[in-house]
Amino acid sequence: MASGSSLPYRLRPNKAVDRELFLALLTRLSPSLGLEQYRYIGLGGPFLEDFRLVHARLGIGRMTSVEAEEQTHRRQLFNRPIASIECVHDTLEDYLDGEYFDGPVIIWFDYTDPGSLSTQIERFALTVGAVPTGSVLRLTLNANPSSLGKPDPHELSVEADDEASEDRAVKPTIQEWRLARFRERLGPLFPSGLSADGMTRKTYGQSILHALKLAVDKEVLSHPDRQVVWTLATHYSDGQPMVTATLVVCAADDKTITQLAEGWEFYSTTEQPHRLDLPALSTLERLTMESNEDARGCLGFELPKSDMGVDPFDVFEKFYRIYPHFSRVHL
Amino acid sequence: MTKPSTDHAEASPTKKFFVSMLTRDISLADAILDLVDNCLDGALRLANGGDVDYAQHWVKIKLSEELFSIEDNCGGIPREVAKNYAFKMGRAPDDDRDSESETIGMYGVGMKRAIFKMGRDALVRTRHGDDTFEVPISSDWLDDPGWAPLPINEPNESNEVLDTPGTTIQVRELYGGVSRHFRNEAFENEVRAAIAEHFTMFLQRGLTVELNGVGVEPVHVEVLVSNRPDGPAPYIFQKTIDGVLVSITVGLNTSRPASSDDEESGFDEKRSSRTAGWTVLCNDRAVIVGDKSRLTGWGDGIPMYHDQFIVITGIIEFRATDAEKLPVTTTKRALDTSSNVWLESLVKMKEGMRVWITYTNQWKNHPRADQTEHWKDSRPLSLEQAVETVGKRAETKRSGDRIEFNPKKAKVLPEPPGKKPSSRRIVFSRPIEEVRLVSRMFFDTDDEKPGAVGEKCFELILAKAKKQEG
Repeated sequence: MASGSSLPYRLRPNKAVDRELFLALLTRLSPSLGLEQYRYIGLGGPFLEDFRLVHARLGIGRMTSVEAEEQTHRRQLFNRPIASIECVHDTLEDYLDGEYFDGPVIIWFDYTDPGSLSTQIERFALTVGAVPTGSVLRLTLNANPSSLGKPDPHELSVEADDEASEDRAVKPTIQEWRLARFRERLGPLFPSGLSADGMTRKTYGQSILHALKLAVDKEVLSHPDRQVVWTLATHYSDGQPMVTATLVVCAADDKTITQLAEGWEFYSTTEQPHRLDLPALSTLERLTMESNEDARGCLGFELPKSDMGVDPFDVFEKFYRIYPHFSRVHL
Repeated sequence: MTKPSTDHAEASPTKKFFVSMLTRDISLADAILDLVDNCLDGALRLANGGDVDYAQHWVKIKLSEELFSIEDNCGGIPREVAKNYAFKMGRAPDDDRDSESETIGMYGVGMKRAIFKMGRDALVRTRHGDDTFEVPISSDWLDDPGWAPLPINEPNESNEVLDTPGTTIQVRELYGGVSRHFRNEAFENEVRAAIAEHFTMFLQRGLTVELNGVGVEPVHVEVLVSNRPDGPAPYIFQKTIDGVLVSITVGLNTSRPASSDDEESGFDEKRSSRTAGWTVLCNDRAVIVGDKSRLTGWGDGIPMYHDQFIVITGIIEFRATDAEKLPVTTTKRALDTSSNVWLESLVKMKEGMRVWITYTNQWKNHPRADQTEHWKDSRPLSLEQAVETVGKRAETKRSGDRIEFNPKKAKVLPEPPGKKPSSRRIVFSRPIEEVRLVSRMFFDTDDEKPGAVGEKCFELILAKAKKQEG
């Protein structure tokens, strides 16, 4: 099985929309923050696609891609689309520990491995206090609840509406079982009062974002000179459910970034992330939906419901401007 | 030999010194818990020695940038108590309230300390029976060097009267740092978790505590007990020591042992269940939850706490009508470890721990499924239920008011199948690319667990080695 990160963007339309949202955010912030002077640090994957885009859209020249796997690192050196991208063979954490930041940075912690959730969240939170103010930090986390483990079905009871299996009193449901694991993994980051309802495929992303928010809030308490402004949060699924969150680290008394973020059409916070689950459409369907107010009426049929629980017409209407269109090119 | 003169050297404490010393040794979250403690002591006094129906009582706490408030319906402060004791800095020797009930307040500083910790302007409004009055503690009073008595004001308007007997405390002019904490969600989460743990027994009995409008759910600290009379059960001990009833249980909780494949383990120490380790209750208050330090015996004649012991939970409860006999400090969130009752209990705590440390050692290299079979008919029980259930077993030793059950001596602990004392553990690290490569060769998938891949490698070579030998 290929790890999720190496799947090309064209097979992952929701991830592509998510990335477009991030680029749109940076474009909005750029005039105020002067992003072209920033350093961009990320995990570029074999094709360094996001580096190419960040350079093209924002004019950022100083870029560092960090990669732990040697073969991927070599491939990055081969594929490097812009000469100024520095490719480093290291883990992101070790690399950041060894760097001094002379000015604000943009860091994308693009984690796909679900194993070390609390370490990932803590590392992100810690960075909030370590980077210069003005920095933009972004985190992607795996939000698949089955990554918490798969219990033996004999260890579980089941429930449906008011009915329950006979062993209900002595055995947990899958959600309760996951909640116990989630509590173990997060330790003190666990949001007190979180219930088993937050452990389904639809809701787990929200629970992770809540834990993330708490971890960052806690870190901010130790840094009276700064505040964080959450600007963009998403919950999407391309095979694996994922969540992302982006924040700007500002001076404690800064109001401009908050205003700038809140006035943005795609502004979203960890409490209410965008649910990105766009329908797969034919070219004709897409053009029809884009050019008509009443898309549902014009099509005359229903589009399949998404497993994230969003209406495909609504979500298309919201994101059609940045919905990617992929077509085949013969080289 | 000198002779007395008419001059005197001033020796009374300055208010500023007093306030800053008093608030220094308590955290903000603990100060809030102190106020909830006071509410519960109120409910106990209201019951006048009888059983308290906690479902009738509520406590509502609000934290915000400008204001702290706590309201309860726990009976309020009698006017005589307010006049003579409640606002005094420290408990007066002639204050003999509570000698017959299991309250926890003893030093008479909780409310004042909490208020001074938070801000400079407070109002305590209370209704006892039909008598309502309020006591302001203003910044003017705080700034004044003298110790003038606080005013007691009568209500003038209807909104100054409380609907039910109880107390409301409001603190304004919050200190900068306090204000920053009160608007921070992580701090709210910390307070919520602390209330859920510390007052778990009261919450389980129906007490309602609301924090910023949302009810707090109790944390359950429980150990597994098999339904079968010869099935596995926790260690149990109960005895009255120096007028304090001590109850102890040590057993397995419902956590899962950490997988050896998890890269996090070892590095990420916090990867552990909150309720693993020791929970200490004093008169129903959880003083400490999930302690894994030397304080509760870990690393003191037995191994230090580590991931292998995530499945072990111990609960100890101290119960006494005289709060001064309980082994707690003034903050009520820490133990007085030099007290006799604590030292004597610690011996038994360690005895119980040793049983389960040996147990987890025995099962260390065995698949979890083998163990699950023995525990499948077990239920998680609280300390009280565990003592009651296990206390009925035939192997339980009783003499006087002393009860003791040792599962190892009672031979009710499951043993792993085909246990070999000669088993040794092999641990090593390889780059993930190499693990995937081998995984693909063995299992036709590159994401099999590294532990399983390593084990198969060993089996393969072992078969070859045996062939060569033979």
